Amino acid sequence: MNTGTLLIIIATIILAPIIGGLLAGIDRKVTAWLQGRFGPPIVQPFYDVMKLFGKTRMVVNTWQVFCAYIYLFSAILSLILLVIKSDLLLILFVMSIGAVFLVMGALAAQSPYSQIGSQRELLQMLAYEPLIILVFVGIYLVTGSFKVNSILNYGKPLLLSLPLLFIVLTLVLTIKLRKSPFDISTSHHAHQEIVKGILTEYAGPYLAIVEVAHWYEIILILGIVALFWATNWIGAAILLVLTYFFELIIDNVMARMTWRWMLKYVMTVGLILSVVNIIWLYLM
Amino acid sequence: MGMKAALINSSRLKSPWLVHFDCGSCNGCDIEILACLTPVYDVERFGILNVGNPKHADILIVSGTVNHRNKRVLKNVYDQMPDPKVVVAIGVCGCTGGIFRDCYNVLGGVDKVIPVDVYVPGCPPKPEAIIEGVVLALKKLEEKGKKVDEGIVNNLNELKNLRENKNENTL
Amino acid sequence: MLDWLMGISILLPFVAAILCLFIKNHGVRGFIVTLTGLTLAISSIMLLNYGPFSYTPESLLGFDVGMLITIADFLLLFVILYIAFKLKNVLIGILTLLQIIPMGYFEFFMAKHVEVTPAFYVDHLSLIMNFIISVVGSLICIFAIKYMEEHEEHLHLKKTRQPRFFFFLVLFLGAMNGLVFANNILWLYFFWEVTTLCSFMLIGHDQTEIAIKNATRALWMNMLGGVAFVSAIIILFMNAETLSLQDIVQKNVPLAALLIPLALLCFAGFTKSAQVPFQSWLLGAMVAPTPVSALLHSSTMVKAGVYLIVRLAPAFQGTLLSTLVAIFGAFTFLTTSALAISQSNGKRILAYSTIANLGLIITSAGINTPAAITAAILLIIFHAISKGLLFLCVGTIEHGIGSRDIEDMRGLYDRMPVTTIITIIGIITMLLPPFGVLLSKWMAIEAASRMPLVLFMLALGSALTVVFWARWAGILLSSPFKKEGKPEKQSAIIRVPLMILAAGAIIVSLTVTTLYSSLVVPVIQLYYQTGSYSVVNGTIVNNMGAFSLYPIFAVLAVAFILALAASKRVDQKAVCTPYMCGEHHPEYGVSKFRAPMDKWEDFTASNYYLTAVFGEDKLTKWVNIAAVVILIILFGVVLL
Repeated sequence: MNTGTLLIIIATIILAPIIGGLLAGIDRKVTAWLQGRFGPPIVQPFYDVMKLFGKTRMVVNTWQVFCAYIYLFSAILSLILLVIKSDLLLILFVMSIGAVFLVMGALAAQSPYSQIGSQRELLQMLAYEPLIILVFVGIYLVTGSFKVNSILNYGKPLLLSLPLLFIVLTLVLTIKLRKSPFDISTSHHAHQEIVKGILTEYAGPYLAIVEVAHWYEIILILGIVALFWATNWIGAAILLVLTYFFELIIDNVMARMTWRWMLKYVMTVGLILSVVNIIWLYLM
Repeated sequence: MGMKAALINSSRLKSPWLVHFDCGSCNGCDIEILACLTPVYDVERFGILNVGNPKHADILIVSGTVNHRNKRVLKNVYDQMPDPKVVVAIGVCGCTGGIFRDCYNVLGGVDKVIPVDVYVPGCPPKPEAIIEGVVLALKKLEEKGKKVDEGIVNNLNELKNLRENKNENTL
Repeated sequence: MLDWLMGISILLPFVAAILCLFIKNHGVRGFIVTLTGLTLAISSIMLLNYGPFSYTPESLLGFDVGMLITIADFLLLFVILYIAFKLKNVLIGILTLLQIIPMGYFEFFMAKHVEVTPAFYVDHLSLIMNFIISVVGSLICIFAIKYMEEHEEHLHLKKTRQPRFFFFLVLFLGAMNGLVFANNILWLYFFWEVTTLCSFMLIGHDQTEIAIKNATRALWMNMLGGVAFVSAIIILFMNAETLSLQDIVQKNVPLAALLIPLALLCFAGFTKSAQVPFQSWLLGAMVAPTPVSALLHSSTMVKAGVYLIVRLAPAFQGTLLSTLVAIFGAFTFLTTSALAISQSNGKRILAYSTIANLGLIITSAGINTPAAITAAILLIIFHAISKGLLFLCVGTIEHGIGSRDIEDMRGLYDRMPVTTIITIIGIITMLLPPFGVLLSKWMAIEAASRMPLVLFMLALGSALTVVFWARWAGILLSSPFKKEGKPEKQSAIIRVPLMILAAGAIIVSLTVTTLYSSLVVPVIQLYYQTGSYSVVNGTIVNNMGAFSLYPIFAVLAVAFILALAASKRVDQKAVCTPYMCGEHHPEYGVSKFRAPMDKWEDFTASNYYLTAVFGEDKLTKWVNIAAVVILIILFGVVLL
């Protein structure tokens, strides 16, 4: 591993939560604007996380702590793997380490909200994992490999060959961002759903760790979104801004739905769109 | 250490999360509290969020009178908040029991069960008064936060001493 | 030297089994089993060291080995016929006759004096299988020594049935070794049927009504595979005049002559590995004592089926048969993963997961590219270790708490911390990177990318597996925090195999690159002539993808240490009750809440089993019908 790669990794570890936090702040500001109010300052998420670090420790079960840390580290690891242009499928599986440990940590707490939240989180994972694998398969069919390097060497924006799979990716993005209509296990900002669902029994510094891990995951997913226009920076930036704004509008327009609806909708719509796009790739 | 403590301290003031507990209120105060969250008053611009879970909250705002049934629940909710935490009693029912204080089931105000830091009288108090009460509570939060940072934690007696010095914080 | 090692691998278990049957003393029997296990393990390591070889035994005790096996084969078939007669089961009787009569005709009229050289052809795939059988199998047998004592105590048996149990268990190890070494397809068939008989006897060990019923079902389904096997042998000899597996695999025979026998052999493999629609025998086999489930029905016997298919895969590479085998395997993987979600019985979850992973191996064999075969072989190894470990854990837990239901295992960390941690290690090694099972699944998915239907099924199935593993791991930990938890009492004979298997699962995952280069690459080179993956800087790479094995291990090891340190820093003062809207019992550790009329009500939780969608009664019928359709298509393609 040469120093260039090492510097990139260190820069990622330091910058990603900063960008993620700012993004969460911009999210709240724009949501407030859409709702006709002012909203908090953009750096608000950093105040939230710092304040949480300043609270006294409180857990229901020490396994929660262990699992929160593993969640954080696997989110960081999967983002690093993306930045060093590793294998997309591997990135997904490393990300799922964190998701599984988050569920385990919440199941370890004997609280009804925590338990129901974890079951719903598992169902959310059931909804988005096949879809994101299919998105990566679409990318493989276009570029010939699962490695991020091949996307960067491909020369044309992926969005042009994979439009329907991009829509599928936005479904995954909505679930991951914990936005309506898929904020079923826990919701973003302070929206309550079964109190706070999977995060109910996390408090103080451990909630801060989960929040920071969530920022890393958001940067990861947005990085994958940006890969759909990997040919130049401005195109990628515009794509990201448009996609994120679209997510905000969907969040503010739609109500939270049930997990049954989520599974039915995501599975049918997601699978149909993926199948159609992949068939196109075969026929072209 | 100094800079980290200063950062955390200023963050405490900028990100107060509150949990709202309705003890036995007629809901008049509750409607005013909820009004604070609407775009007209928009307390979210101060970073105030209404979290539903005492484990995530710094400020507990309580409305309504305390009776024998809900005193246990109130104590349980208060105990589940991590330090530093402050309590704001909303409305005269929360402060002293209000017009219901002589009822057979009513114990009185919130301070019969948990230490209160700020009293916001009114029936119901206006949203502006509630916001001002919360902002006053933030100053208390800062003091308590400093104590938490210095390691004097989780000790109800210490916090009770703090309460003794608060007598002039009514509006 | 070689003949000694071969004798130890195949004959020593036969001898040890007979000794176990007749020796009354429990301690001596345990000693024999342990000694046999250790000898087998050492012999397998020595064989691994030795490398690939061919071997044809000249004679055994003065008799020609081929003749001995033929006699033993017919004896075996008549024993099974007798069993069918005793059980008054017409189906088994017919299926056995359908094997005896053709075999008789074949042996005495068609293939008189056929010499197959070499009789045993041992390449790295056989050596790997031998290692798993000898090491994992021996550990399970040693575990069984103490386990069966407790088992018979629980059942209040007056007369011990352990001699019979160990007879079949140890005999089975010898038969499996013979199976993986055999090159003469008749000898392979003999060992195959011995494993069928052992399975029948062991499933029915407890002699309860349900055990006998399930054993009967296992027997007829495996006999169906046996009929397919016999038909394959006869047709093979008629078309190609050979009985040597290597002739088939090294493509010394034209493909057109081989397709029907290959399809029939794959069918035999499907029945042995309990693929849909034959999964009910494996599920029914879960009534057997746990060592049986661990040894036969996850690590070894069912692996015989997939071993045969992987062994034959180079022969049908590139054919439509291969594609259909891949689709069939993927279909099994998807449907049994879905069915596993609706189960709450721990052993049934493990059974469905076993069938799913066997389906994944079969899919990889069907995809039939070097990368896919790598995935298949690695999955065989890793799955055997992890699944064997998990079955032993469930057995231990069952003896500890008296139940196999995962709902009763809630908060097990309180009562049995060591077993819980070992179980969680087992689950993590089955589910997450960088461990071997996920590595193989990654390889399989990447290799399947050119077969979209297979890929869809693998993607969906993979997501389904996360659900039932993660929730099981989570609820094991769901107990109140206790600072002074002492490890539970457990006999060393039980704990040592568990620890070895848990450590083994982790260490084998760590050393997968060495395993790959020394054991798997030779097999791929031998049959496919091109490489699959290369190992660069601790990363397993090919032109399609890269798996950064050692970097991930390193980061996760650091994360593990930091996370553990952070969780140890939590002291009693930081612990508080869960949130139940203020109605939780104020005392920590008491899991009650205040219900109306001020009663204290216990807090209970349960998992989502989604039986309305994934329930057995909803899905099994359709799954079986679809599977039969795929099989009909497969045979239609081959016959027409």
